[in-house]
Amino acid sequence: MPQVRINGEVVVNFDGSSPNLLQFLEQQQQAVNYQCREGFCGACRCKLLNGQISYLQEPLAFVRRGEFLPCCSIPKTDIELEIPK
Amino acid sequence: MAYTTFNRNINDQLKEPMFFGNAVNVSRYDQQKYPIFEKLIEKQLSFFWRPEEIDVSKDRIDFQQLPEHEKHIFISNLKYQTLLDSVQGRSPNVALLPIVSIPELETWIETWAFSETIHSRSYTHIIRNISAEPHKIFDDIMLNERILERAVDVTRYYDDLIDGINLYQRCGEGTHQINGKTEQITLRELKKRLYLCLMSVNVLEAIRFYVSFACSFAFAERELMEGNAKIIRLIARDEALHLTGTQHMLNILASGDDDPEMAEIAKECEEESYAIFMRAAEQEKDWAAYLFKDGSMIGLNKDILCQYVEFITNSRMQAVGLKPRFATTQNPIPWINTWLVSDNVQVAPQESEISSYLVGQIDNEVDTADFGDFDL
Repeated sequence: MPQVRINGEVVVNFDGSSPNLLQFLEQQQQAVNYQCREGFCGACRCKLLNGQISYLQEPLAFVRRGEFLPCCSIPKTDIELEIPK
Repeated sequence: MAYTTFNRNINDQLKEPMFFGNAVNVSRYDQQKYPIFEKLIEKQLSFFWRPEEIDVSKDRIDFQQLPEHEKHIFISNLKYQTLLDSVQGRSPNVALLPIVSIPELETWIETWAFSETIHSRSYTHIIRNISAEPHKIFDDIMLNERILERAVDVTRYYDDLIDGINLYQRCGEGTHQINGKTEQITLRELKKRLYLCLMSVNVLEAIRFYVSFACSFAFAERELMEGNAKIIRLIARDEALHLTGTQHMLNILASGDDDPEMAEIAKECEEESYAIFMRAAEQEKDWAAYLFKDGSMIGLNKDILCQYVEFITNSRMQAVGLKPRFATTQNPIPWINTWLVSDNVQVAPQESEISSYLVGQIDNEVDTADFGDFDL
């Protein structure tokens, strides 16, 4: 079960009860910006500091190196992410 | 140099830059330099909708019962959106098609502009329904100073680019005498105008529309003007895709992978890019003040809307590699996101009045008598 470290503080297990990382973050009461929840608007962009994610579907939005979209991805390994302020 | 509708040069389209290379000859998609644009086309086509499919008849009753200051908010936003989509329905074609050099991007531009024409037609659909004198509303767009002020900034980067392209494609680089005036153009200057134009288009799609969107959804949160909100929701979904397309163009240009000179230009234009964003944010805040000049509406007022403008401007700036400039970090109207979720738009036909299910076949009238012979 991959571990998710959020903003350098909280560490939670990704136990598969959420279909994607955006829902997972919301369940942890983290405020993440979102719009389409389908990978095409890019509003939920977060920083991936460590580890790997895999996309459930390839995002259409522009994603810079070091960033990822939680709305259409799940962790592949333990990850460390940062929600932009 | 001069534009040709079917370029006879045998070229390798995979080696062309996005803009200012050879004009496109064969529209082929078996090989693609940037497959993302083909994916955007497919997505846009899957979003296809027609305004007439959405029943706005209940909105007429709602509208008649709105207090005057809310009528002002509703109508003014529609006028402003009409202006924005009038520009967006034609300008990407006029400005970008003469200079685009790869087929998948050319087709994306056409697909994008086409969907804006649907938005324009939907405003007529909405306005015809709520007003017995729609011409008065449309006529005022050309007279309303608040809207015209915005039109200047919305169109000027397009016009500068189009003007430069005309000169360049007719006369080439250099100094020319045109109708007794001395005009100068270089390819580098044109590239700069292109970059700034795309930046201003991104601002239009990613910020300017959202003040109107917020008001439309605020009405719908009160179960008012819901037909309108359904249409605006489809428009917002399209715009989210368009702004992604424009962000891709900007980021590919700024990376320099496509055309090394473009990376230099992107750097050179950084201050002006910031200025474009900040100016638009200020104008949208002024617009919010104009909307609420005679009173606020439940759930929204000028201050909240201004904070939302700042919040969304920050997030859009980051998407194109700029630093956020406003202190606002929280979305002051988080409820708007539920209206912007894409999968909420497409539900099973039997679950809601999904537009494509209704095409001229079903009306919304349900009488208690219709349940007369139901037994539970």
